[in-house]
Amino acid sequence: MAARYAIKQQALAEGAVVPEQVKLKLARDAALAEEKEKAVVEAIKAQAEQREALKSRTQQYEKEYVETAQQLVDLRREAKLGGNFFVEPEAKLLFVVRIVGIIKLSPKPRKVLQLLRMRQLHNGVFLKVNKPILQMLKLVQPYVTYGYPTLKTVRELIYKRGFGKVNKQRIPLSDNAIIGDALGEKHGLYGMEDLIHEIYTVGPNFKQANNFLWPFKLSAPKAGFNKKRHGYCEMKGGDWGNREEEINALIRRMN
Amino acid sequence: MATGRPVVSVYNCENPAEKTSTVPMPQALLSPLRPDLVRYIHTNVSKNKRQPISVGAKVGYETAAESWGTGRAVARVPRAPGGGTHRSGQGAFGNMCRGGGMFSPTKTWRRWHRRVNVTQKRHAVVSALAASSLPPLVMARGHRIGQVAELPLVVSDSLESQTKTKQAVEILKKIGCTEELQRVIDSKKVRAGKGKMRNRRYTMRRGPLVVYNEDNGIVRAMRNIPGVETACVTRLNLLKVAPGGTLGRFIIWTEGAFKKMNEMYGTLKSGAPMKKGYHLLRAQMENADIARIINSTEVQSVLRPKLEAPKKFALKQNALKNKSVMARLNPAAADAKAARAAAPAAAKRKAREAASKEHNKKHKRGEDTFYKKLMRAFEAKAADEAKDGEDAEEAEE
Repeated sequence: MAARYAIKQQALAEGAVVPEQVKLKLARDAALAEEKEKAVVEAIKAQAEQREALKSRTQQYEKEYVETAQQLVDLRREAKLGGNFFVEPEAKLLFVVRIVGIIKLSPKPRKVLQLLRMRQLHNGVFLKVNKPILQMLKLVQPYVTYGYPTLKTVRELIYKRGFGKVNKQRIPLSDNAIIGDALGEKHGLYGMEDLIHEIYTVGPNFKQANNFLWPFKLSAPKAGFNKKRHGYCEMKGGDWGNREEEINALIRRMN
Repeated sequence: MATGRPVVSVYNCENPAEKTSTVPMPQALLSPLRPDLVRYIHTNVSKNKRQPISVGAKVGYETAAESWGTGRAVARVPRAPGGGTHRSGQGAFGNMCRGGGMFSPTKTWRRWHRRVNVTQKRHAVVSALAASSLPPLVMARGHRIGQVAELPLVVSDSLESQTKTKQAVEILKKIGCTEELQRVIDSKKVRAGKGKMRNRRYTMRRGPLVVYNEDNGIVRAMRNIPGVETACVTRLNLLKVAPGGTLGRFIIWTEGAFKKMNEMYGTLKSGAPMKKGYHLLRAQMENADIARIINSTEVQSVLRPKLEAPKKFALKQNALKNKSVMARLNPAAADAKAARAAAPAAAKRKAREAASKEHNKKHKRGEDTFYKKLMRAFEAKAADEAKDGEDAEEAEE
């Protein structure tokens, strides 16, 4: 607060007698200016500290990503050696994109899409994989396509098209402070990398982090869809439904 | 706000240059100015002298007209009966017909007069009187008071016993009303509009209003002076004190009248002795100097300091393409990039590419590329076949 005091400079005529009221105002302004200086210095220091902390956390996350990937590779190799099968871990994170416009939608899928925050064509949201979500997706299968995003996809989406819900407004994520103010105190997320980590690894604060993110407004895919009226897994070739890992290629074309 | 001068000088009637005595300003002349109230009262009270008018009661219906009904190839409007004249068969009665009555004929029992609350009327008079003691307002209304010594202009009581108009005019001129009276005389013109044929032929401006206490001849003396009006203090009329609903009539008081104001209106604390139950108008704000109130220590000490506006956000820039934005959002980005560039994997790849280029430079294949080898094989085969053909021909011969 004190860092934002607006202190107007009084225009003093050289050598003229200064009236009483003006003297009082000068005294008050001087006191406020002092406070402001101190507050500004403190604010700068605090910000620098935050940045350092964010940097160390980011490097820790990078290590974590590399380690988990390497771990999976090792496990696969081990299984192959022993002649066993390695059961891939089930996906935790989904990215869902709405394929269909708003005209002539039946009420139940319409409501479910509203609840999942996809109110517009080509809107995308992250979702946690659990039973209730999967059931909801069943209801809207022909109207969405979804899959398991990789780290690169998550990063690119959040950096390029990330907007946050601040005060019910759609504010671009142009500064870590926006994330810090909204999610810092309560959930410990102070910057872009924190947010990305929370989303990708579906941490304990995934719900709040995800809700903070406004639904992604993606472009129409370059080179188009295949056939929106059929499912992805059908022989004749289509687009809706679960396309697992191949969602990443689609998002690359839509981002 | 009326800035009260506590004391007003009284000018000698015979010799208006000298001041005989001083009178304290009555509280009524320090009332707040209420132009809205004066205008409202004036519009209503000025309706009270109207005489009813209307169109004649039977106008347009003094025919025995009847509608011919349908089937006669004419409109169904009532028509005048009979024959032998132009009038027969013409439409009658309706407002659309020539010679018919008007729509909604005006009636004499229209509500011509307006009642106004007595207290409001008194407040309006008091406010208008207060305005008349302020030179800027009187000048704004158009009176020429350049030569007048002071406002409110109070003259000694001998003015009330003037009987001759000539002397009254002289006194007025000595007081400083020459320009004012001249203005009225110069402004006499024939009225624009039908009023001129309705006994309101001339218009002219209003001059000073002379307020007296006892009429010892003043009314008759001043009756014939163009523009000058007289009024007794106990019976002040808003239509005279604020003509047209505007504040600031030029008023000339006699000493007795001025003093009587106190008895009539009293002060803010006491009621008005001569007006039962009436208390003078009170101001909305006791202290209207807002700048001073705001800058007082009592107010300033409780204010919070002014804040700068929060930073406005310009266009969003893509962090994936813009290095400085990426550095802002991800403090570790620059380091990570440098680390990747320095990593052994990158170095190995570079070395491999360099080695490959070197090798290719040294061992240029020239004629020994794959394609050329392939095509040579074809040529060789073609050459062999040609040779076989020749041999066969030779053998045949």
